[in-house]
Amino acid sequence: MKLYLYGIIDFSNQITESVYGLEGAGVYNIPFCDIGAVVSEINQPIQDVTEGVVLEHEAVVEKLMADFTVLPVRFQTVIDGRDNLLSMMQCYYRDFEDNFERLLNKFEFGIKVIWSADKIKENIIKTLSKEQQKRLELGSSPSKKFMNEKFEKYKIDKEFEAKADKFIKVMDMFFNRFAAEKKIEKLKTENLLLDAVYLVEKDEESNFREAFELVKSARPNFKYLFSGPWPAYNFVVLSKKSGLLREPEQADLFDKVTQSQTLVGADII
Amino acid sequence: MITSGIVETDAAEEFIEEIEKSQDALPKKIDANPKTVEKGLAKLVLTLIELIRKLLEKQAMRRVEAGSLSDEQIENMGETLMKLESKMEELKKIFGLKDEELNLNLGPLGDLV
Repeated sequence: MKLYLYGIIDFSNQITESVYGLEGAGVYNIPFCDIGAVVSEINQPIQDVTEGVVLEHEAVVEKLMADFTVLPVRFQTVIDGRDNLLSMMQCYYRDFEDNFERLLNKFEFGIKVIWSADKIKENIIKTLSKEQQKRLELGSSPSKKFMNEKFEKYKIDKEFEAKADKFIKVMDMFFNRFAAEKKIEKLKTENLLLDAVYLVEKDEESNFREAFELVKSARPNFKYLFSGPWPAYNFVVLSKKSGLLREPEQADLFDKVTQSQTLVGADII
Repeated sequence: MITSGIVETDAAEEFIEEIEKSQDALPKKIDANPKTVEKGLAKLVLTLIELIRKLLEKQAMRRVEAGSLSDEQIENMGETLMKLESKMEELKKIFGLKDEELNLNLGPLGDLV
């Protein structure tokens, strides 16, 4: 019997509320010590990943999130039978415990910001042209012309990066006050200035939202995306060394998890 | 269906476009099946050469900026970088590779180039 795994929770009794997961199957908790693995039974791996299937998975995780600390696992994690699941739980038990301690009463929020790279570059070029008299003239041979062009581009790119750093630093100052942890990515594309996730205490949720509104009103010409609260998809850390078993046994058990899925910490948002 | 997480934005399409763009540019694997092994390998090798070329170019620009290069050194460096760039263009054409394909996602370490 294959088990579709939704997440690990800090609770080892049966979930009293009726929860239905993929293919409408009943969701239940398989206890291990003082924690549990939330699963439903599945006949075969998911063939077609549709929006509906993703939302069914997400709905279970979010329902769990309302009552427990959840370590969400990657979408499409299927484990071959209860014994393998329990072995996996034994392997990672200490890791799971550490994560529960760190993530207790915390949610994840996502923030993305778009700026107009073209406009920013246009302004930079204008500013640099004003400083033309200071420009370095390297010469007129083909290789020096080449170096001149590259140098102009280098200066624009450098200024572009500096502006991105400056804006991100200011925005992060607002969010960071209410965050326990964060992961920030700058300029994933030229327009996607910021792609960040923040781990926020439940009690700080409204302050964090307020900070977001402040940032938005301070820079209305940028575009914003706010998402959450989510389980801490991006903040679960597995050392893979903390289990009760020896390393080779751990590796063997880990291989039994189908589809080579990393167990926890996936980003399906 | 109960979903407590919300997504708020007034520019959904633009965000989708940018996210797709960032994902398209970052293949997570080298395509090395028997039919395309040559191209897969070329892609890996050219990605590494491109990384080194960009690093060299950046270092050269830093030195130009700092004014630590003589006229002759700038001339030589320009010629070298120009030839390197044109050779790369040639190789990309031979293997049918585009600029955006010369990148690798190194997982938690981010992008190679």
